[in-house]
Amino acid sequence: MIKKRAGIKIIAVLVFLMHSLCLHAQKKPLSFSVSGTMGISYEGYGLNRNPSGWTGYTPRRPWNQVRFNFMPNFEFGKNFSLPFNINLAALPTNFAGPYSGFIPGGPKQNFKQWLANPVNNIAVNPKYKWAELQLGTQYLRYSELSTGDIGVFGAGFDLRPRQFRIKFFTGTSQPGINYFAGPPTITGAFKRSNWMFQVGKEKEDKYEVAFNFAKGKDVINSAAPPPLTIKPQEGFVISLVSNVFFKKGWYVKLEGAQSIFTKDLSTPSTALIKSFEPFIKAHTATERDYAGTGSIGKKGKNFDIGISSKYLGAGFQTVGYPYLQPDRLDYTLNTKWNTWKNKMNIVASLGQRVNNISNTTLKAKQFIGNLNWFTQFNTQWSLNVNYNNFGFQSASGINPYGIKNVSNDLGISPSYTWANSKMSNLLSLSYNYSKYDERDVMTGLTTSNNTHTALLTYVPSYFNKDLTPDFSAMYFYNNVPLAKTRLITISSGLNMPAAKKKLQLRGQLQYNLVKLNAFKSDNNLIASCNVDWKITKQFSWNTYLSTNYFKYGNSIVPNGANYLESTCRTGFQYRFDTKKTK
Amino acid sequence: MKQLLIIFCLLFSALLLKAQINVNLSLSGRPPANLTEWGNRKDVLTLIIGPAQSQSADVKIKTTIKTLDGTIVGATNLNTAKTFTPLAGAVVILNSLDVLPLENVVFTGKYQSTLIRTGKLAADNYMLCVQLLRATDYAPASAEVCKTFYLAAYQLPILTQPSNEQELNAKLAQTAITFRWTPVAPASPTPVTYRLRVFEILENQHNLQALRSNQPLLDKNIIGTTQFIWQPQLSMMPYSGEENKRDTAQQKIIGKKFIWTIQTLDNNGQPLNQTDGNGESLSEPKVFFVVDKTMGNKIKE
Repeated sequence: MIKKRAGIKIIAVLVFLMHSLCLHAQKKPLSFSVSGTMGISYEGYGLNRNPSGWTGYTPRRPWNQVRFNFMPNFEFGKNFSLPFNINLAALPTNFAGPYSGFIPGGPKQNFKQWLANPVNNIAVNPKYKWAELQLGTQYLRYSELSTGDIGVFGAGFDLRPRQFRIKFFTGTSQPGINYFAGPPTITGAFKRSNWMFQVGKEKEDKYEVAFNFAKGKDVINSAAPPPLTIKPQEGFVISLVSNVFFKKGWYVKLEGAQSIFTKDLSTPSTALIKSFEPFIKAHTATERDYAGTGSIGKKGKNFDIGISSKYLGAGFQTVGYPYLQPDRLDYTLNTKWNTWKNKMNIVASLGQRVNNISNTTLKAKQFIGNLNWFTQFNTQWSLNVNYNNFGFQSASGINPYGIKNVSNDLGISPSYTWANSKMSNLLSLSYNYSKYDERDVMTGLTTSNNTHTALLTYVPSYFNKDLTPDFSAMYFYNNVPLAKTRLITISSGLNMPAAKKKLQLRGQLQYNLVKLNAFKSDNNLIASCNVDWKITKQFSWNTYLSTNYFKYGNSIVPNGANYLESTCRTGFQYRFDTKKTK
Repeated sequence: MKQLLIIFCLLFSALLLKAQINVNLSLSGRPPANLTEWGNRKDVLTLIIGPAQSQSADVKIKTTIKTLDGTIVGATNLNTAKTFTPLAGAVVILNSLDVLPLENVVFTGKYQSTLIRTGKLAADNYMLCVQLLRATDYAPASAEVCKTFYLAAYQLPILTQPSNEQELNAKLAQTAITFRWTPVAPASPTPVTYRLRVFEILENQHNLQALRSNQPLLDKNIIGTTQFIWQPQLSMMPYSGEENKRDTAQQKIIGKKFIWTIQTLDNNGQPLNQTDGNGESLSEPKVFFVVDKTMGNKIKE
């Protein structure tokens, strides 16, 4: 019913848009312009492992991939625009999420699966004044607690007459995908239909009030065989957002939401849990819970302060944010301060997260504290200090000891700049100490993991040359019981134009030495370069080449194993704008 | 007369004992926290009825969940409970869907409100008792059998470092990036595997789009510990000059962008928590940037 109504509304808006366009067209000739980009790129990957048959290092990019992008924006007069967003990949490379398993060499995807596969994106958003049609795959963010993280292939609109906001979108966030044992294994997914709706009022920099509704429902018989570990689900969320912005930078932002979520649609329906009909009917696996966010603070030119809090009930779940972790209460105090004639900048936050408000698991508390303090003492000296503390603690439960992990990081980075008539020089040192303690829940013993990192960077800049080199050396030492790791890196980069600045060349060479305990060192050399060739003002050819050679010492078997990994990306990009051309 | 009465009583008792049906209850000591999940897992609860008496009879299963001090948490509504007719001499094997049908179990007070909100009961030790009753008059048809169990939901790891939208110095990140996360709570009796994956977010891609569609640059199984130092062996140099330009809206340098997450697997390699969240036991992903800070300084100048 809702879908039918939506369809009628979309058609009505479309007719209205066309009609307005025709009326407008009768008055005076429309100006027309197109701007945007289009391009094609190729990515190639190679991996050569020695001795042959050794599989200790696995490929981490697709062997071949071709990507297309086409993003023009057609503008008809002042009020009507037709932007397209088309990004396509020749091969599917899905390793996580509902599509996981669609990889080269695996089963072929059908047209619907191809169309809704997140590796591809096809969208067009015709807009006339305050009315926008949304067609194709859209990643729409209505609010923090309703929907915002998933792409849905479908149709909808975004209407903003005066201060009113009316938005609706309906479509499919994933088609049905059959489970396939493999290899490669296809995890499979149920077809999920979504719709979302927002109605509200907004005055920029003054206030915003909006009701959000979002729903997703899996089709039980849409995958055969069905996924092994994923159950068909249905979820509905309703939220109210109200943000108010006052004078002198003060603001208050609030959102409250309720979700009704069925974790397994194949469970029997029940009258013991209240349904929210006609939107959702309760099953024994249905949960109803609440969530809320709030923040209050002041933003200024040199001083910001704010308190924010977020509560997510244990049963709160929304199809718009599939990876949201519920059952927690966060509260943080954030501040930013520029002082000493803008030469000192302090950013700090302090907060706590309490997990398991519902008491359905062991209560765990996290303390989070961050400080970043930058000072520019004079034209030559500057200093950046940062400190991060993080703690996680839970009760013991049925184990003898509870979890207790504490992390402390301190970083100090002084920089010195000097110049003469030919060049300026930047010398920067960065030291970081990190201590991470983990308690074993069975023995109560705490393991300390200590890391020291030191980085020295030198960047000369010539006033009369276009050559920009940089040099750096890094030492990294990590110490945990039974393992001491040392990494030494030396790297250098060079950036220079060529061919009357039509070519921009960048190169980098990096050598790493890795030493684990008393084992013989591993050696690693990485070389990379990119060439940007501006063939014309609009047309460019970008090429990136990188190669990584790694040779183990005797820390693994077979001793002396090595691999050579190569990456190549090359592509043409065309930028067009008929306004500029004219 | 007195002797006759004793004999009659003995005979009647023997008859009653004969009428009782044997029941044998098997229950996992640490079942899934989500009660609906019990029905999906055959290994959680098994009730063996029989062999039944010589004549078949209609029975209902009365299931009660109690705390260890005897407080009733929930019990079957006998009026709506399903009737079983064990055939004479036959053994009937039932699982959670029949023994604890949630649509027919009435939970009390705070337990009901927690269950409606979360699908779980509060983390605690509980006792599950089962008894067969005659369908006609609810008279006991078997002895009551009870088993204790511990319920506590697993809380998936929370990603802590790099924190969300943290900017890492490319000169440091090209050598080592340290990942940290909180452990699964409570600690699992069997070791869990943390599958750490890092995906590059390419130009024109949304964060989650990259996670769902790209091949991971790092896919590493880590057992027991909650830290991993990644030696990326990647040049953090941008693919083109465009990536080093300043994003005026965000007031920062566009560098390389990554998204990372942890999937928590049990000792069989299956997602630890299949009913909560996305069903894949994937923790809420975080995004981080790798930015060439020396390039940033040059641009500032």
